[in-house]
Amino acid sequence: MTADSPSRQTTPQALPKWLEPFFLLMPAGLWLLLLLVLPTLLIFELSFVPGIRPGQVVNPSGLDNYFRILHPDYLPVLWRSLFFSVSTTFLTLVLGFPVAYWIALKIPKQWQNFVLLSFVLPLWTSSLLRSYAWITILRPTGVLNTALSLVKIPPLDILNREPAVLIGMTYSLLPYMVLILYAALEKLDRRLLEAASDLGATPSQAFWQVTVPQSLTGIAAGALLVFITSMGDFVNPELLGGASSMTVARLVYNQFLGVTQNWGFGSALSMILTLVVSIAIALLLKYGDRSAASGV
Amino acid sequence: MPPRRFSSAAISRRRFLQTSAAIAAGLASPGCGWTLAEVRPADAKGDQDKLGIYTWESYIDPELIQTFRTQTALDVAYDIYDSNEVMMATIRSGKGTNYSVVYPSDYAVAEMIGKKELLRLDKSRINGLENLMPEFQNSAFDPNNAYSVPVSWGTTGLIYNADELKIDITDWSDLWNLKQQLTRRMTMLADMREVMGATLKSLGYSYNSDNPAEIQQAYDKLTELKPALATFTTDAWQNQLIAGDYLLCMAFSMDAVSVMQENPDLNLRYVIPKSGTSLWNDTMAILSTAPNLDAAYEWINYMLQPAIAVDITKRLFFATPNQSAYDQLPNPLRNNQSLFPPEAILKPCERLTNLEPKIAELYDRYWTRLTSK
Repeated sequence: MTADSPSRQTTPQALPKWLEPFFLLMPAGLWLLLLLVLPTLLIFELSFVPGIRPGQVVNPSGLDNYFRILHPDYLPVLWRSLFFSVSTTFLTLVLGFPVAYWIALKIPKQWQNFVLLSFVLPLWTSSLLRSYAWITILRPTGVLNTALSLVKIPPLDILNREPAVLIGMTYSLLPYMVLILYAALEKLDRRLLEAASDLGATPSQAFWQVTVPQSLTGIAAGALLVFITSMGDFVNPELLGGASSMTVARLVYNQFLGVTQNWGFGSALSMILTLVVSIAIALLLKYGDRSAASGV
Repeated sequence: MPPRRFSSAAISRRRFLQTSAAIAAGLASPGCGWTLAEVRPADAKGDQDKLGIYTWESYIDPELIQTFRTQTALDVAYDIYDSNEVMMATIRSGKGTNYSVVYPSDYAVAEMIGKKELLRLDKSRINGLENLMPEFQNSAFDPNNAYSVPVSWGTTGLIYNADELKIDITDWSDLWNLKQQLTRRMTMLADMREVMGATLKSLGYSYNSDNPAEIQQAYDKLTELKPALATFTTDAWQNQLIAGDYLLCMAFSMDAVSVMQENPDLNLRYVIPKSGTSLWNDTMAILSTAPNLDAAYEWINYMLQPAIAVDITKRLFFATPNQSAYDQLPNPLRNNQSLFPPEAILKPCERLTNLEPKIAELYDRYWTRLTSK
């Protein structure tokens, strides 16, 4: 007899072995099913009902809502959202990498958590508040222009234009990028850097050929997170972007909560937004790991 | 085994199968659909000592709740919304069962009555309706206040810095006249209906035009103005008007009046454009799903007390429709023409009305095009 057979006998009513993982996964699984899969299916169904408003019977009947998105009225909105998201992703990466690198590799271990925490601190305030703060800084007679006038630089008219949106979004999402890059860089194998310099690599060669390839997974994950989050942001474009700031997220909002109450078209737009994000995730799964692996 | 148990199990099981079949059918098969966002009353009655109120931010403050609590020993829990559409969507999502009292505006009252979302008021339980000004006792959107009790009214207009501008602003057309001089120093509301309505009015049409040619004309006129606008915003103009970044802003009267009252040193003026504007009217109503009817009537009676209406007009700067409260207001407030404009100015004004879905789509398309160029 093996050692564990007595315990098996004492608990005859225990679950069969193959059921155990399901039992453990059930709470999370139910959560996902009820709050993610089911609602997404409902939105998917609604997206096939042209012009449905609350109180009407759901009767899926075709792709009209999707064809409507291709109308020249809506394509510029999609492009603007993509432009904001891609630019924000790029900016957070360029700004966030040096910071994460500095925290992970240059700062003494005992101070790292403190510096990280202070970097993430802005996330504790409301995003709305942060956007309003940028209005105060960027407006024509605001903090920035007052400072510029002290050093005799002509005022900048940034607020209510695209640069203001990019500043606001980059500021909001930079902490996420830094956190993820830090996690990737912290695991960096420093012996490889020493080996590179022993073999005659300049610091910049070592950076591009050792550090960057090793942190590619982190870069991809951070870029993805920032991209996805910024696709859904409409607070920053709305408050900082001026009169031409319509984004997909705002368009979706207008369909559900605006005057038209066209939940069908809103659902189709939501599905397109979901699709764009899914493509980004698929790209990460396909190329993210492989390039990271081939780099090492 | 007693047969009863069998049958009850069978019923519950059959019911389960029916329910899941219905859900599956609603999800999958066309033809036998479900109704989108249907509101059903909740079975459970809520806490009878607590009144749930769903209202606009400007209509409630801790002092108001505290006085109510001392008068009635009832507690208040409230939530805030910033547009009628958000409020109606929240209620239709099923969350409305927490609230007893809501504050819909005129056109929303009409829509909610149509969808049977409001309770027909029991007049025998309401005191003080006779104190309302006559024009608020029989509104077109709700004749004889069958479902709603007006709580405030106001206009949409233009607020400007008279020291800087040195011209008298009188009408919507001034926005177009000043577009060279005030490039990126003017704002309009972040509200499709108000912006389109104002432009339609400046062209001599109705604020609620449903004529596609007129709507197109308004859109064309707006595209001329847009490069001169800093942004479309409902609230964020306030600090920048005070700071001098903006000189001319489209605003709701109660926001304009509160900014003017708080900055007496600035020469700010609020005008109601002479070609007319929108006249709005917010009300109190009881939801048909209200968990706490007694407290809801208590609240309405409380708000109808002239002393309370005077108090909130002084503190929150909105125009009361309560005649006896108006009579008790201190002179500067009562003679404030921005808050209580004379009859002649109100004559060309209109109320926003509900648009046909097709026309609403047309507005929305032009608005999307306008704000994405």
